[in-house]
Amino acid sequence: MSDNVVFHAEHITKTFPGVVALQDVALSLTAGSIHALLGENGAGKSTLIKAMTGVHRPDSGTMTLAGAPFAPHTTRDAIAQGIGVVHQERNLIPRFSVAENIFLETLSDHPFRPVDYGQLNRDARRWLDLLEIDEDPATPVDRLSVAKMQLVEIAKALSLDSKILLLDEPTASLTPHETDTLFAILRRLRDDGASLVFVSHKLEEVQEICDRVTVLRDGRNACESRSLGGLGRQDIVRLMIGRSEQVPDWTLRDRAGNAPALELEGVATSLGHRDVSLTVHKGEILGLYGLVGAGRSELAKAVVGKDRVTAGTVRVNGEAAKITSVAEAVERYRIGYISEDRKEEGLILIHSVLENVGMPIWRRLSGFASLLTRGTVRSHTEPFIRKLEVRTPSLEQHVGNLSGGNQQKVSVAKWLAAEVEVLIVDEPTVGIDIKTKAYLHELLRELSDRGTAVLLITSDMPEMIALADRIVVMSGFRTKGEIANTRDYDDVSHGIMELIQQEDEAAA
Amino acid sequence: MIRTLLQTDWFGPLLVTVAGIAVVTVFSPNFLSPYNVQILLLAISANAMIAFSQMIIIAIGQMNLSVGAIGGLAAIAFAGMMEVWGIPWPLAAVLALGIGLLAGFANGVLVAVTGISAFVITLATLSAYKGMNLGITEAQPFYQIPEIVKTLGNETFLGPLPWLVIPAVLVTVLLWYLLFRLPLGRAILAVGGNPHAAELSGISVSRIVVVAHAISGLLAALGGIMFVGRLQQGNPSIGDGWLILSFAAPVIGGALLSGGHVSVAGTLIGVVIVAIITQVLAVFSIDPFLVQVLLGLLILWAVGLNRLREVHAQRQAAAAARPA
Repeated sequence: MSDNVVFHAEHITKTFPGVVALQDVALSLTAGSIHALLGENGAGKSTLIKAMTGVHRPDSGTMTLAGAPFAPHTTRDAIAQGIGVVHQERNLIPRFSVAENIFLETLSDHPFRPVDYGQLNRDARRWLDLLEIDEDPATPVDRLSVAKMQLVEIAKALSLDSKILLLDEPTASLTPHETDTLFAILRRLRDDGASLVFVSHKLEEVQEICDRVTVLRDGRNACESRSLGGLGRQDIVRLMIGRSEQVPDWTLRDRAGNAPALELEGVATSLGHRDVSLTVHKGEILGLYGLVGAGRSELAKAVVGKDRVTAGTVRVNGEAAKITSVAEAVERYRIGYISEDRKEEGLILIHSVLENVGMPIWRRLSGFASLLTRGTVRSHTEPFIRKLEVRTPSLEQHVGNLSGGNQQKVSVAKWLAAEVEVLIVDEPTVGIDIKTKAYLHELLRELSDRGTAVLLITSDMPEMIALADRIVVMSGFRTKGEIANTRDYDDVSHGIMELIQQEDEAAA
Repeated sequence: MIRTLLQTDWFGPLLVTVAGIAVVTVFSPNFLSPYNVQILLLAISANAMIAFSQMIIIAIGQMNLSVGAIGGLAAIAFAGMMEVWGIPWPLAAVLALGIGLLAGFANGVLVAVTGISAFVITLATLSAYKGMNLGITEAQPFYQIPEIVKTLGNETFLGPLPWLVIPAVLVTVLLWYLLFRLPLGRAILAVGGNPHAAELSGISVSRIVVVAHAISGLLAALGGIMFVGRLQQGNPSIGDGWLILSFAAPVIGGALLSGGHVSVAGTLIGVVIVAIITQVLAVFSIDPFLVQVLLGLLILWAVGLNRLREVHAQRQAAAAARPA
């Protein structure tokens, strides 16, 4: 096996301020193989991909490609040396033809040599035939389906003599039929000796098409370049979720007897959720667990009125609620949502701490003639900012200059100031150092002790077991059932896996 | 056949143009008189340079607010060099074109190096170039224009065809060849279509941005020189009213303001439509301020139409993707 290693990386370490993203990670890819790269959010998977594609440079460790040392400085560099990447987002020039997109690279070498479109189209035929793309090479790519655009990107990568082909979530926007076609092509490429890396959250697909696997967890190898043979789905999930040594010793709480704060019953949404039922009681933390792609964040967005609930009942404080906008969710129903993507959806980075925290309550605080004084905002927000110990030189500091942990505290302070009764937190500690993480955990616990209902979405199993009172399991945009959190790691993870497993059998 | 034609950018506007001319000719038969055609062609030739100057920047998904300022600076430089220094007109024209090229190059370098949006950069240079113009001229026109320049700027060489048509046709063909046949032009459109993908395909985005701005400056200068010939003076106010037209014509011609898609033929027809409207209002002695209002409505209409076509194309692509 070792003689046909195409790419090899070892002892890769990469740290970002406050976080160790990769620690001593190894990966080796062989010819004629489809290698699965797995890991939950924050496990270091994307950092490793970025190291391979020249976006980040590892702090230490070595990489070799086809036997030669490989240390790309830029993405261009990595591509030129033979790393072909098909990203999740499309990287084609929309109005250009299929053929021109495939050969854009070679064309740009000679800016003043006229393009011979006839020749270009004939050359493209070869790749289109290889990948069984039944399209005229002269067709503009924006007339193609997403699946075909993806194949064009594969053709583009192959035409560059890529030594390895990295496919990041290639099936995310494909139909099952298109996925089958893609897989048939990938298998053929593998049989012809290509080395492919398959990054996906869909474990069924990984098991269907991959032959080797590397799993990352907490920035380390949970397993390194081993054969997939003999690994069941359950084993893979265990590798991904791992186990924790640091569950805090908090007393078990049973808040199920409290009045319900937010209830969903048989809810369906415009995003494709079906039969979603769950109840969060006052003073309770309800965990919503699922693998990435299970539809958890999407559910949160539908609940706060960003997307539509199409069927079923939503009740807030026992009364049926029809939430049509986020403003209504905040002001009338007092539901706040802390997005997992705090930089894009949670905070306005170029505004001050004070403005960010005060935003949801501006309307409430504005008095006569809608005048809003800084003093009013300050007096309503400062206690919360102090309480959360946001480390900022002043309230005027731009949020973008704070550390990730402090940014997250600002997000929480914002909703505390808004006096929400139901708080939905989505992946609250991704990319946050351990100390701040523990602090945020205490904070959420304390918050619920004082009566706030918390719906916690997290892929971080230790976090889930540390915080949640009960856990609802979600898979394929449906809720699968619920288990009590006994704080016993094996017990709970086993229960969760069983619930996820159920769906597989039902689907089979 | 009709379907394919309808999908091109220039066919719809061309139909509108032909229909418009037909209607106007019915009401005012001498609209197509040789003299009137000559006037129309003069306006179209010079205005086409203005439109192309903006079009090349729209192609990379940016905007150039300084098109008029560059054109004005080149115009007074051209006239001034001939009057003050007595430089022969062809040399003065080349030097003025060089000034335009340089001004555009400076725009491009500033945008590429600082990463500040072209809107802001060209807003600043608009003011700077206009300031230089007024500093040099002290707001007084240069009147000493050689007879030959006046002739070339107004007279015809064949039937109703004015001399100015020659550079206009040449530039149109060359631009088409650049954008649709040469890899350099393809790179310009690729950068506008998806800068990230272009970069990953080995295209230097910043270099392309500089090249596009330099071409834009060159075309604006050519426009300015043509205006000097037409107006028979180096007026410092040349370029002041170019901005709206520079956007209107490419957009009528189907250009996407987000970049990556322009049509040379469509832009030219856009210029023709604007020229006809201006002329018609003059023929029927309607208040010229109405031109501005109409131009505004025309831009809205064209942008809306482009948007509709895009949505339609997306639906078709989506329908094609569904299994039969």
